[in-house]
Amino acid sequence: MTYVKWTFFGLIALIVFAFFHYNLPQHDVVRIVGTYQERQDLGDWTRIFWASPDDQAATLTNRDVQFIQAVEADGDPMVYRNEDTGWGWPPYFKFDTASLQTEADDLKSTREAPKWAVVTHYGWRSELFSIFPNAVGIYEVESPDVRIIPWVNIIILTMLLLIVLTIRAMLKQFKERSIDPVLEDVEEAWDEVEARADAAGDEVRGVWSRFMAWLGTFKGKPRK
Amino acid sequence: MIGFLRLAIFAIIGLGGAYFLMSIYMRSLRREALEKEWDATAGEGLPPRETFIDEGMAAYERSLRAKLIWLVVIVPLVLFGLVLYLMNFTK
Repeated sequence: MTYVKWTFFGLIALIVFAFFHYNLPQHDVVRIVGTYQERQDLGDWTRIFWASPDDQAATLTNRDVQFIQAVEADGDPMVYRNEDTGWGWPPYFKFDTASLQTEADDLKSTREAPKWAVVTHYGWRSELFSIFPNAVGIYEVESPDVRIIPWVNIIILTMLLLIVLTIRAMLKQFKERSIDPVLEDVEEAWDEVEARADAAGDEVRGVWSRFMAWLGTFKGKPRK
Repeated sequence: MIGFLRLAIFAIIGLGGAYFLMSIYMRSLRREALEKEWDATAGEGLPPRETFIDEGMAAYERSLRAKLIWLVVIVPLVLFGLVLYLMNFTK
């Protein structure tokens, strides 16, 4: 049973972690090497990893998606998709895809004369499932060794923690003020019922023993 | 457009619910504090318990503290505007 319990909690924790890891912004320091646009089929389950830029996008089975090709400081390739998130999930309210693509084009550089850029993105890259993180912002930096403090993540996670603590305090207050008094009333009422039942029981026992003693008088034995 | 309406409806439900729950919670905390205040002195030099609490609650409803609960609606809306601006209208 303990194993079942811990597996269950482990799974919940994993899902929560994956949810935040996917949706919160992350930063990569990269060199932009190119941009392209490609028709994407959206019919299978990996649809959940593509955005819905506008209302009609929800029903389309394929559409053009813009991509940004980049190389990380250690030489690994990275490809971002560049899609509007619109008013939908995740709540980045990104509408400037075309401008972002232009900025990326402007930052293109070669290995010999590298220009470094920080790409803010959310999402995961998986070669196996052909899914790409969505780039949401880009800015130039001097060198690949910049130190980036993830302020947005700090603020969001702090606020979520405060919300969770507030909900906990609310539940505690609700229990203390609205549930416990009712339980106390029920307990008192129950105590009363028990006391009355005990008293009634004593009474019956008293009557019964007197009755038996009275029956005993017929046996002719001397009474104690 | 539908997307924006969907967001607006979720926002109204979510923020309205948060405001409602928060106002109940703050009211409950205030009432508890008033009860404890009266009980601590056993009501000496104070109006009767019911009156004391009713008056205290009426004063609370008019207070700045009760109005600050609107922040649970205002802060998310301001953050929404800020994200919209920073994402799309700054480089």
